[in-house]
Amino acid sequence: MNKSPDGKPNKYDALVVLVVLALAAALGARVWFAPKSPAAELVVSVGNTECERIPFDDTEREYTNNGYTVHLAVTPDGAWVDHADCPTQDCVRTGVISRPGQSIVCLPARIVIAVEGAEESGWDAIAG
Amino acid sequence: MKTKQLTTGAILAALALALSYVEGMFPPPVPLPGVKLGLANIVTLFALYTLGAPSALAILLVRVLLGAMFAGNASALIFSLLGGFSAMLAMVALRRWEKLSVYGVSVGGAAAHNCGQVAAAMLTLGSAAPAAYLPPLLVAAVFSGALTGFVCSLLLRRKVF
Repeated sequence: MNKSPDGKPNKYDALVVLVVLALAAALGARVWFAPKSPAAELVVSVGNTECERIPFDDTEREYTNNGYTVHLAVTPDGAWVDHADCPTQDCVRTGVISRPGQSIVCLPARIVIAVEGAEESGWDAIAG
Repeated sequence: MKTKQLTTGAILAALALALSYVEGMFPPPVPLPGVKLGLANIVTLFALYTLGAPSALAILLVRVLLGAMFAGNASALIFSLLGGFSAMLAMVALRRWEKLSVYGVSVGGAAAHNCGQVAAAMLTLGSAAPAAYLPPLLVAAVFSGALTGFVCSLLLRRKVF
C-alpha cells in the first residue's frame, strides 16, 4: 500500500518544497524587481482582443464583456480594479499593478489588464 | 476484490465531489486570486496510495466531469481538467520516488495543479498575462499541499479502507 518509509515529512519532501519555492522566486523575481518604467502603459484586452492602451495617468475605465462589468481605476502610481460584478472577484483581489509583467485577469469577463514596459515583456516573447 | 475496489472508488468519487462543492461555498483562505485549499485532492492522493493510479485517475475524472455538470459551468471544465491532470501526472511521477513521503507527493501535486490552471487561463485568454499569478500560487501550493498531505497521512495510517 503505502510505499513511503513512514507518514512523516522528511528531507526529500523538503527538497520538493525548495524546488517549488525556487521556481516561484525565479518566476516572480523578474516582475517584483522590475523597475517602474516611465514609459510603462496598461494594455487592456477584452475577449482575447487588445482594445486599449492606457498611460499611467489619473483616469477611470469601465469594460463590459460576457455579461460582466469591470471598473478600472488608474493613477500615476498604479492601476487596480476597484469593483466588478463577476462571481469570483479575483480581479478585485489582485490589487494594484504598476510594474511591467504584472497583470489583472478577470476570467469570467475574459478581460486582461497587463502592464507593459518600454521593452518587450518576456512573457509576451514566450507567448509570441 | 474487484467489487470492493469499484465501490471504494465510487465512495471516494462522491466524497471528492462533496469536498469540492463544500470548499466552493467558503471564501478563499487568503485573498489571492486562484488560491484554494484543494480539499478534493486529499481524495485523489488517498486513492493513488490505496487503489493505484488508474483508479485515482477515474475518480478524478468523475469528480471533474460531474462537478462541471452540477455547477452548470462548462467553461470551468478546462481549468479543472488541466489542473487535475497536471496534479495527477506529478503525483504519479513523484510517488515512484520511494524516499518521498505523502507530504512531498502532495506538495508537488498542488504545485502542478496550479501550473495546470494557469496554463488553462493562458489558453482560454490567448494571453501570457496569467503567468504573473504563478509565483504566489506556487507559494500557496506549498501550504495547501502540506495540509492535504497531512490529512492524507492520517488517513493512510488509520487504514480506513
